[in-house]
Amino acid sequence: MNKQLAGYAPAPVAARMENHGNNILKVAMQTGNDLLARVGSMIAYEGFVQYEPNPPAVRQIARDWMTGEGAPLMKCSGDGLLYLADYGADVVVINLGGDAISVNGSNLLAFDASLQWGVERVKGLAKFAGQGLWNVKISGNGYVALTSRGKPIVVDCGRGEDETYVDPDALVAWSPNLKVKGKRSFRAGALVGRGSGEAYQMGFSGEGIVVVQPSEDSTDRLRIRG
Amino acid sequence: MAREFQRGHKARISDLTAGTDLYVGVQISGPGLTFDISCFGLDANEQLSDDRYFVFFNQPKTPEESIQLLGAQAGDTESFRVTLDRIPAHIHKLSFTATIDGAGQMSQVGPGYIRIVAGGEEVARYAFSGAEFSTERAVMLGDFYLKDVWRFAAVGQGFDGGLEALLKNFGGEVAEEEPAAQQPQAGGAPGFAPPAQAAAPAPSFAPPAQASAPPAFGTPAAPAPAPEPAAQGFAPPQAPTPPPAPAPSVHAAPTVAAPLAPPGAGTVPPPAAPSPYGQPAGQPGPPPGYPQPQAPTPPPGYGQPPHAPAPPPGYGQPPGGQLPGQQGAPSPYGAPQGAPQAAAPVAPGVAAGLEAFREKPTGQRWTQQNKKMIRVDLGMGDTPVLARQGSMVLYQGKVDFSYKGAGFAGRIVGNATGQEMQLMRCTGRGQVFLAENETQLHPIELQGDAICVSAENVLAFDEPLQYEVRRIEGHGIPGGALFVMQFQGTGTVVVKTHGTPVVLPVTPTTFADCNAVVAWSAAAQAIVSSQVRMRAGAYAGASGESVNLQFRGAPGNFIVVQPYEV
Repeated sequence: MNKQLAGYAPAPVAARMENHGNNILKVAMQTGNDLLARVGSMIAYEGFVQYEPNPPAVRQIARDWMTGEGAPLMKCSGDGLLYLADYGADVVVINLGGDAISVNGSNLLAFDASLQWGVERVKGLAKFAGQGLWNVKISGNGYVALTSRGKPIVVDCGRGEDETYVDPDALVAWSPNLKVKGKRSFRAGALVGRGSGEAYQMGFSGEGIVVVQPSEDSTDRLRIRG
Repeated sequence: MAREFQRGHKARISDLTAGTDLYVGVQISGPGLTFDISCFGLDANEQLSDDRYFVFFNQPKTPEESIQLLGAQAGDTESFRVTLDRIPAHIHKLSFTATIDGAGQMSQVGPGYIRIVAGGEEVARYAFSGAEFSTERAVMLGDFYLKDVWRFAAVGQGFDGGLEALLKNFGGEVAEEEPAAQQPQAGGAPGFAPPAQAAAPAPSFAPPAQASAPPAFGTPAAPAPAPEPAAQGFAPPQAPTPPPAPAPSVHAAPTVAAPLAPPGAGTVPPPAAPSPYGQPAGQPGPPPGYPQPQAPTPPPGYGQPPHAPAPPPGYGQPPGGQLPGQQGAPSPYGAPQGAPQAAAPVAPGVAAGLEAFREKPTGQRWTQQNKKMIRVDLGMGDTPVLARQGSMVLYQGKVDFSYKGAGFAGRIVGNATGQEMQLMRCTGRGQVFLAENETQLHPIELQGDAICVSAENVLAFDEPLQYEVRRIEGHGIPGGALFVMQFQGTGTVVVKTHGTPVVLPVTPTTFADCNAVVAWSAAAQAIVSSQVRMRAGAYAGASGESVNLQFRGAPGNFIVVQPYEV
């Protein structure tokens, strides 16, 4: 039996954050190099790792997240290997290396606590997705892990002649230097309950990338469980 | 091991092959159509300033013989020999075009390709089909162009007029009296005898037989001793075997043959693989068996910020363009499905981290981005697409979404199943990305045939397709009936399945759960068979699989079943 399962053993650690398969994030924890992760995302850990949900420092930065009930983040510190997952969503690891990225709140899995980050509301879009669209802008030198329901697609925003429009429910992340605006594709038909089903879109313009997931399911599963 | 190009792809020739003596084959055909395939040698202003460099049926070669027309051979409708290093300095671009002689339009063209063969090995192929064109009468298939080094671009651009218009476009004069043929084609270059069937003495230069004809292995154009040993390493076909030609292959052998040596093992990158990472052009091919340079470990220099202006010229390819085909092709990024990406630290930078998820380049109207997302380019074909409401995740360009009722029949679906089949019409120009709820998507291209798809599994389809909603009634089917959309015509239907489906041939005893069946070929007939076998010990109300569909049909029919019972 062990033989068959041996293929799923963790690979040797090569970086701070790595994928284990498509859906599990493996983080090599070290003292002094803390991690902020979504509350409830831990699936296993080895070693000595401590968790502090919604620490004061985070509360300060993220006081606007959701409706002020605090950030659904926990600070993980210690030494060991930490495994995180979000209900089988695909995990994407990014080594920022000085870049910056804006991530939809519910698509954020974990990031290094040493990164600069802030919560911002997308202007004029608060009522778009069910829970309001909050995004976390992260920059600096370190790792970020995103989740995506299904393998994501990265689209160059500047490539098309026109702006890029995204279904807010499918949006995962984007380059923070893009200009964002809301678009309502109201047509007469939409008023009598015959909309195209695509009533709101977010328009992006500028040079940068947009990441979307192949699912319009934006429910925050970690949050639902509480 | 030919590299598959999509429309718009570009690559340095040096990345494809180290040779400069190239064979360019064009295959294009259509019912009742004849084609003129020509090569325009254009100057820096893309003008045909010297009409000796218009190589066509009446002028089979240029003065210094750097471009020669070879005629039909080895499955190619027309073929050229291009010797890049002999092309004079004022020629900056070679444009390969096909024009229809007489009546007809490009949409009638069947599948064709333009390919580059070097050293007996097909190194690049751009396949196209008439579906990409409409009323054009000419098409620019591909270009060799000089930008620091010679590059190849798959153009695939239609052109409304015929050969004259094309000639005018390039600034040539249309003399009714075409320039006199310098030399009859048959008597062409000695070392370049036309194909074997022409009873030529020694085809020392022969392209591989149709790549799709493996049985032809080794048989075609068995190289007789070449009369001209300096046939530039144009060793005859068939990749895997070492070129059997005795000709001293000047340049081809060491560089090209080496990386290609184990072509059977899918792990070897195509010769030009490294280019997307901007590595030096002349880099020798990676050693055999060297694993594909994977996205997670690009050289550090690649950490290109996402907002960098245009990619540097050497970049050559649209992002992600390394993917040869889009479907079924093993991902060169090797993103190991389900396997841990061991020892592959992520290079810094957002772009590098996300490189594996880049958008696949545009090539066709429908492009599968990954298993769960598909892109439709509305500008291609200019016909609207009907898609399930809410399935759009992203679009670029000017696209309009409007309500499209499913018609009377659709209404019935709605009333009966409680879930109305609601469609939206996507019109305009631009690209729309469709996905729904992490279901796997399968584009099915119909070419005049018909398929039945369970209404719940239809994601999108081309509007020109005719469709009708059929109702299969049976006791025990939830909602009272199963609704099926039958599609017919020419176009693409995108079917979604939960999980990887299974395709079964229709036999006299083919049954499927009516909740799990996704689609079947329209010639198969579906019959509801309620199999209620009450056994003595069966507990009440739990007969399990009670309603099945039985399929009847001639051999060759199939059904598609998903591992998910809605």
